[in-house]
Amino acid sequence: MKTQNRKQIAPQIITQTLKTHPVAIVLVVLVIIFSIFFPERFLTSMNFTSILKQFTTLMLFALGPSMLVVMGSLDLSFVGIWMLGGILVWILTPVLGMSSIFIIPVLGIFTGFMIGIIQVKAKIPSFILTLSLLVIYSGLTATFAGGYTRHVNGYDFITMKLIPYFPSAFLWTIPLIVAAIYIMKRTSMGVYIYAIGSNEEGARLAGINVDKYKILAFTMSGLFTGIGSIILFQHLGAAVPLELNLNEMTMPLVAIVLGGTPLLGGSGGPQRTVLGALTFSVLYRGLLLSMVNPYALQLLIGLLLIISIVVGSRGLKGVNVT
Amino acid sequence: MTSLEDSIIEIKGVSKTFNGVIHAIKDISIAIRQNEIVGVVGENGAGKSTLMKVLVGVYPPDKGELYYRGEMVPFPKSPKEAAKRGISIVYQEKGVIPCLKVYQFLFLGHEDKYEKLSNLNLSVMRKHAKDILEELHVNCDVDSFMYELPLSTQKMVEIAKSILSVRLEHGNDNVASVIILDEPTAPLTIEERKKLFSDILGMKKNASFIFVSHIIPEVMEFTDRIHVLRDGRLVANFDLTKDKITEEDLFREIVGKESSEHIYKQEIKSDINEEIVLSVKNLSKKGCYYDISFDLHKGECIGIFGPAGSGKSEITNSIAGLINYESGTLTIKGRDVKSKEPPYARLRRGIGYFSGEIDKNLFLNWPITKNISILNIEKILSRFISVMSFNAEKKMAKRIVDKLRIKTSDVNADCYSLSGGSKQKISVGKWLEKSPDILLLENPTIGIDVGARNDIYETILEMNKSGISMVLVSDDPEEYYVLCNKIIFIKEGRIQKVLNPEKFKEVMSS
Repeated sequence: MKTQNRKQIAPQIITQTLKTHPVAIVLVVLVIIFSIFFPERFLTSMNFTSILKQFTTLMLFALGPSMLVVMGSLDLSFVGIWMLGGILVWILTPVLGMSSIFIIPVLGIFTGFMIGIIQVKAKIPSFILTLSLLVIYSGLTATFAGGYTRHVNGYDFITMKLIPYFPSAFLWTIPLIVAAIYIMKRTSMGVYIYAIGSNEEGARLAGINVDKYKILAFTMSGLFTGIGSIILFQHLGAAVPLELNLNEMTMPLVAIVLGGTPLLGGSGGPQRTVLGALTFSVLYRGLLLSMVNPYALQLLIGLLLIISIVVGSRGLKGVNVT
Repeated sequence: MTSLEDSIIEIKGVSKTFNGVIHAIKDISIAIRQNEIVGVVGENGAGKSTLMKVLVGVYPPDKGELYYRGEMVPFPKSPKEAAKRGISIVYQEKGVIPCLKVYQFLFLGHEDKYEKLSNLNLSVMRKHAKDILEELHVNCDVDSFMYELPLSTQKMVEIAKSILSVRLEHGNDNVASVIILDEPTAPLTIEERKKLFSDILGMKKNASFIFVSHIIPEVMEFTDRIHVLRDGRLVANFDLTKDKITEEDLFREIVGKESSEHIYKQEIKSDINEEIVLSVKNLSKKGCYYDISFDLHKGECIGIFGPAGSGKSEITNSIAGLINYESGTLTIKGRDVKSKEPPYARLRRGIGYFSGEIDKNLFLNWPITKNISILNIEKILSRFISVMSFNAEKKMAKRIVDKLRIKTSDVNADCYSLSGGSKQKISVGKWLEKSPDILLLENPTIGIDVGARNDIYETILEMNKSGISMVLVSDDPEEYYVLCNKIIFIKEGRIQKVLNPEKFKEVMSS
């Protein structure tokens, strides 16, 4: 860079960031609003930790799927992997001991690979396919659990306190996020995923084995969800729920779309989901503090999802897709 | 075709059949020398694309030989192998990936050359991308997204990508490459085309080009030699550096003289009503057409004729409301309409738009009855309540099927199962049933055989006689002669002259 341009670089970076990540403005505005209205409740270390906890949950669920949304697909199976994985850990711990926790990533890889194969061969929309799988997994979970919520002990080390105010689950999440961004930005697989999401036919014409990379991407998403679920397993209380929680399914989607990854694919990615998850966590915590009726919160999540999808697709209209 | 000295790529006697019956291409021999632009022209379905796909390894040929620098080599089995033989292709559309950055797009599919332990060396990629774009005089930033570039620059980057893929496969920067351009100008405006061509001429010293097109003036202007394909055969070769030929010569070879004799002839009626149903005044859209004015009388059929890319289809699309216009006025039956009025509102005013491209106007997985009634629902509603009567629907479909002599056993058959000609007849038939005041026709008989063609002409003329006014746009000049009362010649988006059919015929056959 030339020296005379140095001075202009800093504002340039800021304007560039605002252009590509408009949700950053929303985040800043939210923090300011909540700090003004609830200074003694919002600006506390406890709230800070809570926001990070919420962020961790969202991020671990949304990480794998956000890579698939870039490809123009959707993966809802993440909650299913977490639930079924948890119950498998409960079943296997007496047999295998501590190492049974690794059954979750194995399940994740298996699930992703299976989704990828079915999606590529049968050409079913990934949304409906993964939704069906989610229902199957929650059914399996309830069957295996025999109708009771099961607790598994002995994995406390995952959430052992390391640094004050920072939940350790959050610390474990960082390398995962870095790995996901690295894959999307610095490897050929990442480039191919963007290419497929942007123009599948064009990617095929450029000599890319589209089917192979689709299967790989689903498998990778499953792997990320699987590893994330190890952390989540302890983070969310080392217990396996029997009922499918709708919020757990929709909130990560809100984080992805709010971050600025359009559902049509082609742009965005995990780095934007980080921002989306953070913004959503701040909003969610702030509204909890503002004593909004908890049922109204659910309404808000739905509205937010619709608004961010509309804004996301409108934003894409400026893009000259040929 | 004599074999050429110093050719890079030469093919001899290439044939390809599909399903063992239809000859897509037959016994074609072509050679390409270093640093020249060779044109391959022909109508839709003449076999241009098949030939190119054989060259880049998408289809294996049934017969034929390929020579690379005089040595016989087997035909490539994949685009990657084709690149090893120095051949690469730029596709007509869909080749660009809008959300990738320029340098990412340039190396797409060749990342392995820049990969170490699955880590892409981005700075080296950027630098190489910059170098190649500079060498080929493509002026753009390697870090901008593809969609940010103007369309002509996008095409140039695609061409650069093709040259690059040949070089990367060889591992040598000085290798001679043959780049196939498959109708590269199709999505471009007139101004962008000019820019693209001057850029391609500048690249001539870096590579040879095969330029596939059906746009005659472009081919005449920019190529050194021209091969004409018709019905899968090589029918003519011109060396523009030696032979002196006119656009009409080339045109006659492309269309073929014998094809015109089968076409249905009908005396053009002269009793045109004075009433003006559609009036176009100074209509302009930047990059497509400029200052177009004409009046369409009741019962008249006006043809807008010009080479492909002259803006003729954009004019009808603007009248139909499919695209907007920028200035000028459009008056339908005495009423001015807004540029942005959508097609359904235009239909309510009495403007129908019929394109011969089947996937544009038929629901192929629907039965014939539904395909006809979709446009005429108000005709089959029961008298008392707004419920569709399947009986009336069936009757209507039967009427059309009989009238247009559509070969089908059952009006409830899915349109998939019908032949191309029958599909086209159904699309015409639904407009016959609708009978709008004005019908815009775009390539009404594209890709169908002579018999079905005559049936469709007959129907169109009958509709015309019953008082429907029409505007025709077509790639086939015979069609204008058969159907139109008046033919407007346009070139590069501007009206050149207005002719009557006899005069038009004279001009075309002289």
